[in-house]
Formats: sequence, structure tokens, C-alpha cells
Amino acid sequence: MRRFYAILVAAGLVYMLFMFLGTIVPYGKADVADRVSAHFLAKDVNSISPTKWVEGDKQVPHSERVYGRKGFEDGSANVVTSIVVNYRSFDTLGEVTVLFASAVGVGLILGGTRRMKYGRKPNFILRVSTGILLPLIILFGIYIFVHGHLTPGGGFPGGTIIAAAVLLLYLSNEEFSLNMIVSKSLEGSMGSLYVIFGLIGLAAGGAFLFNFLPNGVVGSLFSAGVVPLVYMTIGLKVGSELSGVVAEIHEEREG
Amino acid sequence: MSVNVIIGDILIAVGAFFYFLGGLGILRMPDVYNRLQAGTKATTLGTFSTVIGVGVSKPEFLIKALIIVAFVAMTNPVGSSVLARASYLSGVKPCDCTKVDEYKGGGEE
Repeated sequence: MRRFYAILVAAGLVYMLFMFLGTIVPYGKADVADRVSAHFLAKDVNSISPTKWVEGDKQVPHSERVYGRKGFEDGSANVVTSIVVNYRSFDTLGEVTVLFASAVGVGLILGGTRRMKYGRKPNFILRVSTGILLPLIILFGIYIFVHGHLTPGGGFPGGTIIAAAVLLLYLSNEEFSLNMIVSKSLEGSMGSLYVIFGLIGLAAGGAFLFNFLPNGVVGSLFSAGVVPLVYMTIGLKVGSELSGVVAEIHEEREG
Repeated sequence: MSVNVIIGDILIAVGAFFYFLGGLGILRMPDVYNRLQAGTKATTLGTFSTVIGVGVSKPEFLIKALIIVAFVAMTNPVGSSVLARASYLSGVKPCDCTKVDEYKGGGEE
């Protein structure tokens, strides 16, 4: 079953490569006016501004453009997110891979089998307040990455906040150690889910990591197509990955 | 200018004054523990006053401001207590003017 899964992912990657080679534009032939970045520079979600922008030959006011036109890159209220996960999503996949490689490196250097002890009992105040603060911190991290397409934030900060909650658990309880099997399997499945979203986009829209879901109303929770789903996978992946790094820092080898 | 805006501005001014006192205390106090106490008091009271001032002058932010105040009230004392305990256990001496050291020989609750 595992081999079948690996073959499926590899076949998808090869398919993606062939599609990419087929659609590439020869040098000097690209239509500069139709670039996605030009659309982004003309974007304004407030729609109060009277500035016009040009679509083809006719001029369109902003209000009609943002709420009326269903562009693939117009769905999310947070412009940064719509660049990072829509327009530049392949680069984000690279960032996630870099983080994965560095987490593997930390595991190779620092990993062990036994929980390292601090040698003194943890602070009573810290231990009691961790019980109150921990669910709030985890909830805040989840809020940050679920609302990544609406407010500043996203998958990476949300995952880091969740890892900070795990660090608080480690500091306040000497017996606690993270279940590495759950953490590693969550990390791996979420990382491959991102690639699978990309491949579904390739099958549905003809481009890797294409935004294949409807955009909805700008500013509502279920909007921006695939962006919230991708940010949830990124948030869970980064959270479990950095929690694993925190756990490996607190481990030591036998002897 | 309406009344709640004036009240909010006064609260923000009080918060800025507490921040100033905190900075002065960090500059003037003799050792780590006194500086920590000055800094924590100032940030707690200053943040409370400033954030509630923003909430009063703009009523649509009032609930958010109260939530921020609740979180600061939960985290700030814990953080400063942990910092003070860590610096005591790692051997930072209180200054010579300290009269009572109730934590001496302790470290266990």
C-alpha cells in the first residue's frame, strides 16, 4: 500500500513536469500586459478608491472589479496571503520543503531516546498557569492559520504558536514527552496533502497548485477557494514539525 | 469631540505615564529583581490603561480590548515570576540593600 502511494505521487510529479514543459512560453513571446503581477498591483479590496483600472479596452471601477469579477487571484481579503498561496504557491511549497529538511537535520543531530531532565522541579506558578494558558494558545494558533486569508498571519505563524504551546508543556512538566509517531505522521500526511492539492489543481485547471475552488464573497470565512485548505495543511505541518524540533532538543541519548 | 474620546485620551495618557515610570525604574533600580518588578508593574498597568483607553474612545474595539487585557493579566505576572525565579536559581545575587530574603535555601514550593 505504501509503495502504491509512492508510485502515485511520483507519477503525479512526472505528469506535472510534462504539463509544465508543454505550456512554457518561448523567450520573448510572453504577453507582459497579461501578467498576474499586474493584476495584483491593481488590486484594492476596499473598493472606495475611485481609481480606474484597465481591462482590455474599457475602464472598470474597483468596486465592480473586486466584488463582481471572479478572478482566480481575487478571492482572499489578505493580499499577502493571496500572493503567497495563490500566485507564488510553488515557492511556498519550496519553503515547506526547506523547513522539513532542517527539521530532519535537527533530528539527526540532536535526537535521542530519553527525555532530558532539568534537575530541579518546575516552577509551581508556571505549572498551574500552563493548564489555563495552553488551550488558549493552541486555539489562538489554530485561529491564526484558519483566518490566514482574512487577517495577517497564516500557516507559518500559526504553526509556530502551536509549537510554542508544546515548548510550554516541556518547560512546565518534567515527565511530558511528545508522541513522535503522531507528530511525524501528521507532518508527513499534511506535507503530501499540499502536493495532492497541487496535483488536483493541475488536473482541474491545467496548472500546478491552481485555485480550483470557487472564490465566494471576499472577506467571509469560506472564501478564496483553496487558500484556507492549503493554509490549514501548512499550519498543521509547521506546527507538528516545530513541535518535533522542540521534542528533539529535549531528548538525550543513552549512556 | 465627545466625552468618551476625552476619557479615552486621558486613559492613554495615564498609560504612557506608567510606561515612563517603568523605563525610569529600569534605569534607576539597583538589581535584577527590583528592575523586573518596576518593568512588570509598568507594562501591566500601562498596557491595561492604554488598551482600555483605545477601547473607550473607539467603542467597537472595546470587547477586543477587554480580551487583550485578560490575556495580559494572565501571561505577564507568570512571565516575570519565571524570570525572577530563573535568575535567582542561576545565582544572581540581590543587592546589598536587601533586608529580607524569604526565598533563601528554598526553590521548592
